[in-house]
Amino acid sequence: MVWLLANATFAGAGLFLLQFVVDDFIAYTLALYFLYAIACLGVGLSWGQAGLLSLGQGLFVGVGAYLSGLSLIAFSDQWFLYPLLISCCMVPGALGFGIGQLIFRGRTLNGAYFALITLGLVLLASLIATSWNSVTGGFNGLLGVPGLPGLDGFEHAYVIAASALFVAILMVAWLLATPLGVLWRAVAEDERRVAYLGFDPNLLKSVALGLSGLLGGLAGVLYAPINNLVTPDLFGFALSTNFIIWAAIGGRATVYGPVLGAVGIGLLTVQLRETIDYWEIILAMIFMGTVLYFKWGLLGYVEPFIKQLLIRSTAPLTTAPPRNPTGVGTLDIKGLELQVGQVRILNDLSLSIDAPGIYCLIGPNGAGKTTAFNAMTGELSAQSGQMSIMQSVVARPDARTLAQQGMGRKFQVPCVFDALSISENLSLALWTARIDRPALLGFEALQWTSVIRQELERRFPFLTERSRLVRDLSHGQRQVLDLAIVLCTEPRLILLDEPCAGLSKAETQDVIDTVQWAAASLGATAIIIEHDMALVKALADKVFVLHQGHLLAEGTVAEIQGNEKVKTVYGGGSK
Amino acid sequence: MDGLLVAHGLNISFEIVVLALVSLGLAITLGLLGVLNLAHGEFVMIGAFSAFFVQSQGWPYLAAFPVAILACGAIGWPVEKFLIRPLYARPFDAILATWGLSLLLREMVEFFFGRGFNSVAQPIKGTVNILGADYPAFQIVVMLAAIALIATIVFWFLRSVTGRRIQAMVDNPDLAKAVGIPVDALARNTFVAGLCLAGISGVLLAPIVAVHPSMGIDYVLKSFFVLVVGGLGHILGLVIGSGVIGGAEATVSAIIDRTSGYSFVLILSLLFLWRRPNGLVAR
Repeated sequence: MVWLLANATFAGAGLFLLQFVVDDFIAYTLALYFLYAIACLGVGLSWGQAGLLSLGQGLFVGVGAYLSGLSLIAFSDQWFLYPLLISCCMVPGALGFGIGQLIFRGRTLNGAYFALITLGLVLLASLIATSWNSVTGGFNGLLGVPGLPGLDGFEHAYVIAASALFVAILMVAWLLATPLGVLWRAVAEDERRVAYLGFDPNLLKSVALGLSGLLGGLAGVLYAPINNLVTPDLFGFALSTNFIIWAAIGGRATVYGPVLGAVGIGLLTVQLRETIDYWEIILAMIFMGTVLYFKWGLLGYVEPFIKQLLIRSTAPLTTAPPRNPTGVGTLDIKGLELQVGQVRILNDLSLSIDAPGIYCLIGPNGAGKTTAFNAMTGELSAQSGQMSIMQSVVARPDARTLAQQGMGRKFQVPCVFDALSISENLSLALWTARIDRPALLGFEALQWTSVIRQELERRFPFLTERSRLVRDLSHGQRQVLDLAIVLCTEPRLILLDEPCAGLSKAETQDVIDTVQWAAASLGATAIIIEHDMALVKALADKVFVLHQGHLLAEGTVAEIQGNEKVKTVYGGGSK
Repeated sequence: MDGLLVAHGLNISFEIVVLALVSLGLAITLGLLGVLNLAHGEFVMIGAFSAFFVQSQGWPYLAAFPVAILACGAIGWPVEKFLIRPLYARPFDAILATWGLSLLLREMVEFFFGRGFNSVAQPIKGTVNILGADYPAFQIVVMLAAIALIATIVFWFLRSVTGRRIQAMVDNPDLAKAVGIPVDALARNTFVAGLCLAGISGVLLAPIVAVHPSMGIDYVLKSFFVLVVGGLGHILGLVIGSGVIGGAEATVSAIIDRTSGYSFVLILSLLFLWRRPNGLVAR
């Protein structure tokens, strides 16, 4: 809230005062670059937050501008003009969301491919705009677009554009500070982990692209009446490239970076293009230098700092709503067969767990332990066999659905969100299956805590350093944080893949205690892949031994240690 | 046989062959080095401008080939060293950096040659009669040259020691380094070779298309579509991909119009990305 008020004051005062220090002509030029800044804020949102590099932001600006131009020409004096213009902003937003759904739905798409698809789309739009003469006016575009009724295009341009930019800045500042913003940054870093926390990364990305389209559309809708002209240049890749350059140099992950980039570099270009012939060449080199050495742009190193100063005030923590996972921690696997290429990894694997407790999964390398986890969470799909997870038959397991039902998984390599703070990492886990859509746009959920989280913070004091960035943590702390994330989702079925790998003796003991405490207090089932027999002894209620993708033996630690078949396998024999 | 139909057929074959040649360079940098070089089309453009430059100096057309190779090499070498090499491990940033590079190259060419459209005279005049269709002789020569070039490169890659070393590097760079393959130099040479190939395609294309600074975008996008459809695994994928993309675009454009041809290809590529992200011929 403090952050929002600070933004409103800063942006409002800045935009209001600026008009008094510039002459009319510069004010008009500024207005145009304010509109570009709005579109550029969209780039910041989709690229800087959700990690979607769109080389075609011009698509949304152009669609907005053409729709608005056509509406103004046809219905300039109608009462429904303003509602119509508002819906003209919505169309590019819907378009962005739709494109996102279409592209992201199929499979997880490589970021590079997404960039090229957007480039392809904007070139297509450009072809349509230049060839569909009867509607778009072809190469010349729409000429003589009337201004907004009651407002003069030239005289009021500054006020119109500045007000719109003010609204856009507030919207972005607000979104970035909400749980939704945290989720976007998490998606940009590790989509899979977000799915394992019960969220739909594709939906999140589509929403980001939709909002980016909305901002682009807003810029376009105002561009038509202020410029009195809409040309196919808006769909040119040059403009879309400029948005990327502005956002990158200004600071793509910040609120004001794209604005500074668009207005600052834009005005500089207007000034210097005439005097320095090779200005564009210099700009291209600055951009490449930014990509190589200065990834977060000018404000990327300043704004987070200011933000931290402003929100120093520690808002009181509130208890998260209770989580009631539907699942019970049971598992029943029958005859699972899984083959990748020529390698058969799971070979008629059957395994059953019908009561909460701690179970260890052991076996030599290549026995199929991690693959069994992967089959259960849908990373790999089994060719045949049946799985019943948390009392429901699962034909095609899906990490997101399972997470919502109450499954948590910790990978062998710690998967934490480096760019986020410790608190944000834990909050993501608290939001699993607890946060509803309105809360995603509020601020309360950022302050959630729970009994589990407080206990974890007591056991591992570094977790209380709320604003510390995770990238600064040691390996051991990351392992612990990853485990804490899994436990904060309050799962009923916990899959842990070597949770103590790379930990010191003391840390290992803490982790063992924590797992035991969590399994007991959550009434959960924990399945742990472990190589260290001392650990297995300390933890396991029951042990499953896997060998060549098959269940070799099961029983208590003592029973397993006395088992001849197990001795042979671990003794070096193949059978 | 109907002369018009033969002419159409030849046109489509021409599109396909040229596309395969341009895509081969991109396939080398993307498939072997993992860098999606968005400036690939700009090197085609530089090749085309080499032909234009050579002509404006009154030199023979063939002189354009060494000029293009020199130009692409001279630009490609520092580009690999300062821009691409630090980013082999950051493929996402490499896209951005090469996008910046494409802008830089466009602006530089614009600075020296201006923004306008230029034309290069065809070095071989006249037409040949093929099955009743009169077809420009130069385009036939370009087709044959392109096919020969692709065949030579593929044959060399599969048979030579260097080809094997490149395969080893692609498979496992660390191990390749450990057994004594000079990975850095090899990657640089591979990258520069891919760029020079783009330059050569540009020289071949220059007399047929309009030569202007922004001509590259189209090529990089279409080559990308070819690789999406064909897959990166095999030379066969490249040929099939070029066939599908070039053929579909030329056919639909001829029947309806250019916009439809382009939309069709775009939608086709989207479908492939959606349903078969590894292309027709998977690695």
